[in-house]
Amino acid sequence: MTPELLVAIIVTVVGASTPILIAALGELIVEKSGVLNLGVEGMMLVGAITAFVIVFVTGNHYLAILLAAAAGVATSLIFGFLTLSLSANQTATGLALTIFGTGFSALAGQGYSARPVTLLGPLFPAEIATHPMWRVLFGYSALVYFALIMVVAVWFFLKRTRAGLILRAVGENDLSAHSIGYSVIGVRYLAVMFGGAMAGIAGACFPLLLTPQWAERMTAGRGWIAVALVVFASWKPFRLLAGAYLFGLVVTMELYAKAGGGPLSAIPSELWAALPYLATVVVLVLISIRRDASTNAPACLGKPFLPAN
Amino acid sequence: MQFRLEKRREPSKLMTYLTPVAAVVLTMVVGAVIFSAIGYDGIGAVREIFLTPLTNSFKWQDLGVKAAPLIIIGVGLSIAYRANVWNIGAEGQYVMGGLAATGVALATYTMTGWWILPLMFVAGMLGGAAYAAIPALLKTRLNVNEILTSLMLTYASVQLIYYLVRAPWKDPMGMGFPQTRRFAADALLPNIIPTTIVHAGVPIAIIVALIAWFVMSRSVFGYQMKVVGAAPHAARYGGFSENKTIWLAMLVSGGLAGMAGMLEVAGPFQRMVPGFPTNYGFTAIIVAFLGRLNPLGVIFAGIVMAITFVGGEVAQTTIGLSSSATGVFQAMMLFFLLAGDILIRYRIKRVVPVVEARA
Repeated sequence: MTPELLVAIIVTVVGASTPILIAALGELIVEKSGVLNLGVEGMMLVGAITAFVIVFVTGNHYLAILLAAAAGVATSLIFGFLTLSLSANQTATGLALTIFGTGFSALAGQGYSARPVTLLGPLFPAEIATHPMWRVLFGYSALVYFALIMVVAVWFFLKRTRAGLILRAVGENDLSAHSIGYSVIGVRYLAVMFGGAMAGIAGACFPLLLTPQWAERMTAGRGWIAVALVVFASWKPFRLLAGAYLFGLVVTMELYAKAGGGPLSAIPSELWAALPYLATVVVLVLISIRRDASTNAPACLGKPFLPAN
Repeated sequence: MQFRLEKRREPSKLMTYLTPVAAVVLTMVVGAVIFSAIGYDGIGAVREIFLTPLTNSFKWQDLGVKAAPLIIIGVGLSIAYRANVWNIGAEGQYVMGGLAATGVALATYTMTGWWILPLMFVAGMLGGAAYAAIPALLKTRLNVNEILTSLMLTYASVQLIYYLVRAPWKDPMGMGFPQTRRFAADALLPNIIPTTIVHAGVPIAIIVALIAWFVMSRSVFGYQMKVVGAAPHAARYGGFSENKTIWLAMLVSGGLAGMAGMLEVAGPFQRMVPGFPTNYGFTAIIVAFLGRLNPLGVIFAGIVMAITFVGGEVAQTTIGLSSSATGVFQAMMLFFLLAGDILIRYRIKRVVPVVEARA
């Protein structure tokens, strides 16, 4: 394997894992507050179409990312209002949000398919990344660095800040947090909105970072994989990073197998395409064999907050 | 004037049945407003999507054919959700049922006989149930979340179709198209009303829903499902095994999804094609909720959802509205329904401001 090929593989792995990592970090915060939002896939699709349309019209990638985040927040507020203000069933509402996002993005994206845009270029000037080895460190777009910074930020927020402590308290024991004067619903709204922003940005990665076009359902279940990764990571940000890169590796193997040549193409391409999903199942199985997996889940996860007035 | 929510002593029966109707009506009203606001013909969209399929008698056969798989899958899901088992991979189980039936149809291609269709029927149910058994096994043995596993398996099942119709099952006379051959006459569902497209799956759907209603309301099985879902602790105390309930819920919902897959491939499709997964498995989730997880309610919810599908196609040809608008309307309906749920457990009370008494 030549160094150039190795670098190309690493760059592809990092790119493929970035949207999953961003979405999963958002969902991690949501779940830490005790809320299970299964609408990640739907919010990502809303983010993806928003980013695509904005970059198609204005050509401004950073504006596209910003508005994708805003669109993600707006979508997440539907979920927030139903589950937090009206204490609707979180599982069902999350599913409804995904159905909504799929339909809405397809409707909004009507007439935009097969129209090309440009990808978001590398953050650093090309002179820095002339040597292939430097490309591994400095050759990515801003979205990749954003994802990595957010891993540290989310970890720091949860472990080292007062606000993070309150968030965890709300997720672990909502009644106690309520009785010492914290607004459980308020904290959960903020967490859900953060999850929406991150899912929107994760969706923006698809037209801006991976394939420069719009296609219906272009997130292809990655939002669900992000939800699975949070479980896999036992709600820990750095394990999330490892899981996302592992997943990116599987996707990259699929891409190389489809490109043809080498031992990878001996296996039917459909099996490669199914591999990320099957790998997710295997990973979920492995994680539940380990004992600490389920015990680490926030105690109030998925349960509505119903104080006795 | 201020309002506040007051908890009801008992869940309201009236609201349980009223909120789904209100959700449909609200969806039509709000849908018309929103679609007008974003530049579509909102009233036209609502008329074509919700009313034309009912007023145009030529569309009734389409309604039956579209409602049948939704009702069959929706009945299975409503049983599972009652037991708090979140099978959301019905789409994958539908696919595996369709593939199992296709396997039988292709293996018996040169044969004739009345037994071929029943064999495909059984194979379809077994295919769906077997695929649902994977999440059931992982949930009961290792406590792996069934939502995620059943959904991941759905994505994998679609790839299995692509592989089978591209390579081993490809029609040798198909001019390179990735699809199987058209099934032999004895492997195709008979039309039950001449000169229409109404196939045997339509009455089967009604029968399935009626049997399920009887079982759920009159048998120990139904009681067990409901108790484990509503009060797991009491159920354990009463001797109902939670694991057994998960297995039953998964196998029944998977088997019914597989049955729907068989009826679709042997009915409307007549062969396996890459476009076989048509989201019936996902839409049936809405059907189950709109039907209040009650098999009789699921019949009506299935018809309502079929109306939006058929109407979506009408709106596409008459006013050029994208068929994806249907999905937005369906999701909106579910949102309103979930929002209305609060009225079952709470009542809205007007708060009279307390006037301070003066001495």
